[in-house]
Amino acid sequence: MPPFERTQHPKPFKQRKSFATRQQEVAGIRMKFPTKIPVIIERYQREKYLPLLDKTKFLVPQELTMTQFVTIIRNRMTLMPSQAFYLLLNNSGIASMSLTMAQVYKEHKDDDGFLYMTYASQEMFGQSD
Amino acid sequence: TLFLKTLFLKNQTKNPISDRVLRVGALKVHPSEILPATLTYDTLRFGEFEDFPETSEPVWVLGTQFSALTEKDEILSDITSRLWFTYRKSFLPIGGTGPTSDTGWGCMLRCGQMILGQALVCRHLGRDWRWVRGQRQREEYVSILNAFIDKKDCYYSIHQIAQMGVGEGKSIGQWYGPNTVAQVLKKLAVFDSWSRMAVHVAMDNTVVIEEIKRLCMPWLNFEGAGCSEAAAPREMNGCLEGACAMAEEETALWRPLVLLIPLRLGLTDINEAYIETLKQCFMMPQSLGVIGGKPNSAHYFIGFVGEELIYLDPHTTQPAVEPSEDGQVPDDSYHCQHPPCRMDICELDPSIAAGFFCKTEDDFDDWCARIRKMSCSRGSLPMFELVDSQPSHLISADVLNLTPDFSDSDRLERFFDSEDEEFEILSL
Repeated sequence: MPPFERTQHPKPFKQRKSFATRQQEVAGIRMKFPTKIPVIIERYQREKYLPLLDKTKFLVPQELTMTQFVTIIRNRMTLMPSQAFYLLLNNSGIASMSLTMAQVYKEHKDDDGFLYMTYASQEMFGQSD
Repeated sequence: TLFLKTLFLKNQTKNPISDRVLRVGALKVHPSEILPATLTYDTLRFGEFEDFPETSEPVWVLGTQFSALTEKDEILSDITSRLWFTYRKSFLPIGGTGPTSDTGWGCMLRCGQMILGQALVCRHLGRDWRWVRGQRQREEYVSILNAFIDKKDCYYSIHQIAQMGVGEGKSIGQWYGPNTVAQVLKKLAVFDSWSRMAVHVAMDNTVVIEEIKRLCMPWLNFEGAGCSEAAAPREMNGCLEGACAMAEEETALWRPLVLLIPLRLGLTDINEAYIETLKQCFMMPQSLGVIGGKPNSAHYFIGFVGEELIYLDPHTTQPAVEPSEDGQVPDDSYHCQHPPCRMDICELDPSIAAGFFCKTEDDFDDWCARIRKMSCSRGSLPMFELVDSQPSHLISADVLNLTPDFSDSDRLERFFDSEDEEFEILSL
């Protein structure tokens, strides 16, 4: 039996909360945990193969590298090492895997103070009749 | 078909008019082809393909540079020499009772065959080898082609690829992505003792040099050995035995490497910051091209000119070929004899796998040097990262099972008591 899967929010996090709310949230959590990076991780809306994570909001140690972070998420989803998994920043590029979360945060954090990431596998190719 | 060939040659030389293309229904047809004598089914099909553009911009095909103005024949001869694998029909059912044609589902599997076919050509015949139509072919060529015939016992047949995909969670007839076919080819190459190639699929956009050296020179002792995959000891034994008996000295020093790097260069569309780096891949002498496609249609990209990618398209269904009794294979249908397809680079689906072939250790070292030098001009991004070794803390399994920090969680719960969504806290 496949495990129960949480259904995906119809709207991404950014659209569920106002800018002011998000900003406040980051300010509060940064005060409480100044060495951790607030990260929003969401599944690509058209992703068909990867499971949903049970959390959207993560507080990640700033010294963690992207490689380590990706490994943690991969383990969380119990993916095989041969399965494709990509964590894209701000819906576009892939961060260099050797960077630390602090470095990625500095470069790519949103105006609201969160770091946004979207995960996806690869598209499949074929033609439906 | 002889007629097709003449037409093909005619088109190469007939430059001024061939850039202009008329549209007849959905087909593009060259003006020259609307002569009553040439209006046949074959020409209409041929007419879908525009002639190569007249441009002073360089044409790059699998690491070789050409001029579209002065070397058109050479370009076409190079492209025609690549193995072209398309949909086929009327082969023996896959798995005994499965499909007898791969039309509609096999395009990425065929692209996988093409990129691996190119690796085998580089391995056994060399990058500069050219196919000449109707000529008795070299023995190595016949062996390569035989590895791809649509029969269950051929190393890289559609049967083998479809069935090996079951281990990757794909039932027979399901669509593949670039990574799926790369993983399958890696498994199938182990059985190809003739080629003795090492296929490495670099995951997570990261190429780890140490991993590759370990794979291509398994007989060497690496520091910290023993933490590699379970498959390693068996492979190592096989190679050690092989190493003693190897006829070719070079493969005793280095198993020829096929490096496949599955990537995702954006979510819906390719991030333009990757376009320059993607082009640079086709300029490297080690290039095996790129497998990917437009949404739903897989293509084998072999080069570019200006802002257009040059590709071989598997979307033509041809009847399966039966080798003759003397082992020769009618090989005409395995080479694309019309001008190659082109598409705007921005139309590329972001899911791809880039391929490289390093026959010797020097080739690989040169590849690494080129990747490191690859200047990332302003605004362009590297598609993947090259590192010496995997960070040691990744090898230890304990650290990876980061559990939520409960002391932190308690504090968090008090802090965010009324929140609908809580943070998950990760600690080292």
